[in-house]
Amino acid sequence: MSDDLPEEFDLIVLGTGFAESCIAAAASRIGKTVLHIDSHDYYGDVWNSFSLEAFNKLLDQPSSSLRNGSYTWHEPAEEAPSWTRETLLEKSRRFSLDLSPRVAYSAGALVQLLIKSNICRYAEFRALDHVCMLYNNELVSVPCSRSDVFNTKTLTMVEKRLLMKFLTACNDYGEDKCNEDALAFRGRTFLEYLKAQRVTDKIATCVMQAIAMCDASSSFETGMQRTQRFLASLGRYGNTPFLFPMYGCGELPQCFCRLCAVFGGIYCLKRSVDDISWTPDAKELLLSSAGKTLRAKHIVCAPGQLPATLAPHYGQLQPHISRGLFIAASPLGNEELNKGGGGVNLLRLLADEGQREACLIQLSHYSGACPAGLYILHLTTPAFSEDPAADLADFTAQLFETNAPQILYSAYFTITAPTNANESAATPIYCTAAPAYELDYDAAIADARHIFSQIYENDDFLPRAPDPEEIVVDGEDPSALNEHSLPEDLRAQLHDLQQAAQQMDIAE
Amino acid sequence: MHGRVKVRTTEEERERKKKEQVLKMRAYRAAMTRIQKKRSAGELDDELLGLTVQILQRNPDISTLWNIRRECVLRKTGELQSALKELEATEAPEATVAAGKLEEVEKEDKVEKEEKDDTGEADSKAVTGVAALAQQLQAIYTTELDLTEHCLMVNPKSYNSWHHRCWTLEQNPQADWQRELQLCNKYLKYDERNFHTWDYRRYVSAKAAVPAEQELDFCTEKIKVNFSNYSSWHHRSLLLPTLYPNEQHDRPMSEHKLQEELEMVLTAAFTDPNDSSAWFYQRWLLGSGAQERDQPVAVAAFRCWPHKAQLALKKPYPELPQLQIQLISEQQTWQLQPWQPTNGEKTQWQCDQAIYIDPSQDYVLALAGQRLKLSVQPSDKSLYYFVPPHATASCSKELLGELQTQLQSCLDLLEYEPDSKWTLLTSALLMRAIDVTGYHEQSLAHLAKLEQVDALRRGYYKDLALRWTMEMALAKWPQTSNYPQLFEMPTKISSTRTPYVQYLIVADTVSS
Repeated sequence: MSDDLPEEFDLIVLGTGFAESCIAAAASRIGKTVLHIDSHDYYGDVWNSFSLEAFNKLLDQPSSSLRNGSYTWHEPAEEAPSWTRETLLEKSRRFSLDLSPRVAYSAGALVQLLIKSNICRYAEFRALDHVCMLYNNELVSVPCSRSDVFNTKTLTMVEKRLLMKFLTACNDYGEDKCNEDALAFRGRTFLEYLKAQRVTDKIATCVMQAIAMCDASSSFETGMQRTQRFLASLGRYGNTPFLFPMYGCGELPQCFCRLCAVFGGIYCLKRSVDDISWTPDAKELLLSSAGKTLRAKHIVCAPGQLPATLAPHYGQLQPHISRGLFIAASPLGNEELNKGGGGVNLLRLLADEGQREACLIQLSHYSGACPAGLYILHLTTPAFSEDPAADLADFTAQLFETNAPQILYSAYFTITAPTNANESAATPIYCTAAPAYELDYDAAIADARHIFSQIYENDDFLPRAPDPEEIVVDGEDPSALNEHSLPEDLRAQLHDLQQAAQQMDIAE
Repeated sequence: MHGRVKVRTTEEERERKKKEQVLKMRAYRAAMTRIQKKRSAGELDDELLGLTVQILQRNPDISTLWNIRRECVLRKTGELQSALKELEATEAPEATVAAGKLEEVEKEDKVEKEEKDDTGEADSKAVTGVAALAQQLQAIYTTELDLTEHCLMVNPKSYNSWHHRCWTLEQNPQADWQRELQLCNKYLKYDERNFHTWDYRRYVSAKAAVPAEQELDFCTEKIKVNFSNYSSWHHRSLLLPTLYPNEQHDRPMSEHKLQEELEMVLTAAFTDPNDSSAWFYQRWLLGSGAQERDQPVAVAAFRCWPHKAQLALKKPYPELPQLQIQLISEQQTWQLQPWQPTNGEKTQWQCDQAIYIDPSQDYVLALAGQRLKLSVQPSDKSLYYFVPPHATASCSKELLGELQTQLQSCLDLLEYEPDSKWTLLTSALLMRAIDVTGYHEQSLAHLAKLEQVDALRRGYYKDLALRWTMEMALAKWPQTSNYPQLFEMPTKISSTRTPYVQYLIVADTVSS
């Protein structure tokens, strides 16, 4: 292959998923030469969002990281006869169907990282409208903010007070006052603590299901920490503590790739790797791809992109996440939850008496991920079999039993992960983890950060990228007044002033 | 270093900022000097307007510059208006011929204007006619409005910008008040607590004749977003009494609406008991409303002997000597004057006038449109009038029910949070709203508790307890056998700072 690609890099990254893109951007940002390759013709790997057509194609062709794909077209509902298979496919490109949908805590790891690194300028978010819970088989909104508590009709006046009091106590927890609690409840469960606060059953459900996102066995410390995380993210961007990336989660890896490219990273999509070998001291790795050998000091690789020769080192690919994806002509829940054309909502579901859980994200057209009038329902749960539909059956039953939305299309698939994923001592290649079952990107960011710190021990992980006007062009006096940074009227004055000032008496 | 982006050091950045600062300062001084010169020379022209814009955009709080702008605007609009008059005068004969023709002229003007827009070549001076001038006039006002809007972006709490906006709109007989209302909506979306905007909103909505219901809905929306908002509660308190007037004038609004409001405000208070705004609004709801504002001169007590008269007022009214005060019997009318205040607060007045009193006759005291029926003191045959402070307000069954529910909620809350100060105070107020006499001891107990948990306001609670005790004693007084000769001062009240002391002019003796 005759390309003018350099042959030597500090770092070669295989796979453009979230964690890989983070590492690529971080290395490029500190001046390392980076080559970023993906065997697919799109960015994002299993973190990408797809058009409806591309998504179907993906399900038809199992790959190492995605299998057990299936999809079904349902009879158009009587109430929405205009949505047929044909009309949906016509709008194929208006869909952004996520393989790994997430929401981000407004003050969580992802948002902090985006702000800290200044990558936020490439990203756009929609604040979630409602965090929901199932209470007595009814979908209700969990009052998150102070104004929610004030406005909600589901709580009595005294319940409102109790909920607010409990949340305030959790928020202040750790600032001395509650230290007695910390001692008293050490080693006990969060549920016990909740019960000791004399809250009603409804409030306990709110807190356990949606706010602390705990189960009965969660420790006091875990529950408290999660509640605090929820509370710390409130009141930042919207009425709930969560954000969803506009146009789907597939946008996020690309934001990091963009930063990597701005700092000189080189991108090659649709380029597969045949083999990777290394010198005995593992100081240099040789990567053969399309008949060319590239040399790198380090290689980072996504589990699904390992060359066939090396994959066995990381063990078998096992089902990791079971996913369901539904396109519906009506939203879940009542009008209150879907004001003005549908909400972007989050719901945590429990099954097997709280032993298993799943996460549901409902997207309306406000998320930019589907056409108006349609809704995407993303259902995610940790896999325990090769049959994603069976894994999710308990949850779909809860959701669609009563007031089922008019489902037009449903799809199921499994995302895989190697059995002994990271830390294989057999190769000097750093292997990132497959998408974990989590709401936010905490685990993925921690993974990226960990690998980065192993490679570049003493370097800062994604320090703030300067804005264009902060950058000094070669040969420029760095302390000179930059005409372009001035307000418009002053810019004009800068020219006039020199002459004008000489002619005028300036009052001192 | 290869591959790294060079960014300014903080030192370099500071130096750059300093240079920018110097440039800004020089620009400011140059513009200010030029402005003053032009103004002294009477050159109130477009250039002067342009110069002020540069400075006001960055600092909208220089009143001098706004004043100068107003001078310029007045000059410009004045010229245009006189030109307009001249033009109308010349066109007037036509107008008298046929009134309909004027419309045609206007239409022609419009066509002319459209043509001008289409070609974009015609010089504005070439376009004459009424419409063109009127358009120029509007353009001046629009410029001013745009500038203030820009300045409000810089500082949404700029008194000068808001004032200039009002002034501009007042100048323009064709001001677009709906647009101003939209502006208020926009600004209150950015900051729902900006009292400047709320104030301006009241001004605009009065001008635009916005229905009070609509304003109330808007207000409710804002409270739903964030109830910690004094401005919004205040806005409500102005709207509700006019929208839902109270027939008896002893409550701020109709009982039905009052019930709803009480429920809403208590929900807010329960959501966050530390937020004082809701509690303040609740106190207003539980109060007696506009009753006392309606009567500037409220008589507490009156007594009249053959040689003098004494008058006690609920609230100070220094202008009393200017009032016409008459004592009217069946046969005769006395003008009582002159009046001299006998205490510092001017709530007690005396008039040394000789009056013949016939105990067998009925006497009436007339002042400020009120006619008060007088009684005869059996001991010395003097005439007197007495009404205890804060007679209990009327209360329908429904309202009473609501108040009791609320009281119960407060008492429930106190079980969880026995030291919550607002809850203690509010439950005391609710008790008094429900049954002053029955809850007298319990409400005083709450005040005693408040003195402990909110020690910083101990004096306030003590004073309140004193007032309530005295109110109770005065209310019970007419039913006692000694009334009206002897008033027994309740225990614990020192005579030096007795509230409602003016009411006691009716009594001959005050025992302690």
